[in-house]
Amino acid sequence: MAREQTQVRDLGEGSYVMIDDAPCRITAYSTAKPGKHGSAKARVEGKGVFDENKRNFTQPVDAKVWVPIIQRKQGQVVSVESDDVAQVMALDTYETFTITSGDSDLAPDDEIEYLEMDEQRKIV
Amino acid sequence: MFPDASAERDDADYVLCGAPLDRSTTFQPGARFGPRRVRQFAETFDDYDRRTGRRFSELGVHDAGDLDAFEDVTEYLDFLAGTLSDADDDGAVPILVGGEHTVSAAGVRATEPDVFVCLDAHLDLRESYAGDEYSHATVTRHVLDVADRAVVLGARAGSEAEWERADADDVTVVPPEDVAGWSPDFDDATEVYCSLDIDAADPGFAPGTGTMEPFGLAPRELQSVVRSVAPHASGFDLVEVNDRDDGQAAALGAKLLREFVYSHADARLAD
Repeated sequence: MAREQTQVRDLGEGSYVMIDDAPCRITAYSTAKPGKHGSAKARVEGKGVFDENKRNFTQPVDAKVWVPIIQRKQGQVVSVESDDVAQVMALDTYETFTITSGDSDLAPDDEIEYLEMDEQRKIV
Repeated sequence: MFPDASAERDDADYVLCGAPLDRSTTFQPGARFGPRRVRQFAETFDDYDRRTGRRFSELGVHDAGDLDAFEDVTEYLDFLAGTLSDADDDGAVPILVGGEHTVSAAGVRATEPDVFVCLDAHLDLRESYAGDEYSHATVTRHVLDVADRAVVLGARAGSEAEWERADADDVTVVPPEDVAGWSPDFDDATEVYCSLDIDAADPGFAPGTGTMEPFGLAPRELQSVVRSVAPHASGFDLVEVNDRDDGQAAALGAKLLREFVYSHADARLAD
């Protein structure tokens, strides 16, 4: 899996993090300040990039977490197979794959942007 | 740990969190000791509840400990609301133990109720108090940024401006003398948050609180309200208990917290 390690303190709203082994985009980040005891903690709430499920964790700010390496890429619609599935060609590698169109109304030759991590892709 | 709150977090139906915030108390401080005090004075209560036939230890209550307070109150409320919303997202009912009444704003933000039902001597509808927009005297106003309306039971104190604000359609005030005759009229779709400021009780019953207000409610009146509101509630808090008595306020508050859980669980398990 394409990922790198960072500390919780370096995360922020809008960035990506792995939560429960799923890549998530952070939707809320708040910190609790330490007093005499314990260390500062951060609460991170995110939404699955590919499944849109809400996930969260609370950890010390110096804890290490995995950040997924998600690429934003360009593609061209080759064909529309159904209401929610399309064939798309990556414009950098010319590889062809199927993608769930979701709410996007696609037609052949449309150029799209999509997120890619390993074999998972999502239109943005 | 709150006595008999022995469920693991992942299995919990109720998640109790202490919020010892004590920064804006206007008279007698000590709300920071509320969570500890409430846990301590709950130790004598029986696990078994005769009325419902339920055992508290079998109702899935988890004590998540305290979220220690820190200086920036808006950041504190953000973190607290997030912690409570995690419980809510997991299908558990958050139970918050203050701390000053300000913490209720976090409980309400976490559960997003339609109605805020509050037992309180004070209206807490000020825009600010002594220049502090997050004073405990402002909490109902903050809550109304989220909830559609507030029902304040037992209110008998407020400024002229607060009473004028309370005349609006989104606030219902039930004076102490009418609380015994009040009953909730919420339909099944209405989400309710129940907040118990221990100063709703007459100070003769609960002197350990920051701002005592005479001519208050009797314990059985509080019990009746908690029992009737609990089945409709998605969150509960007990606030404003301090350590300036011999445990009367904490004991009453802890018992009412348990009443909430017994009543809520009994309704849920009967469905």
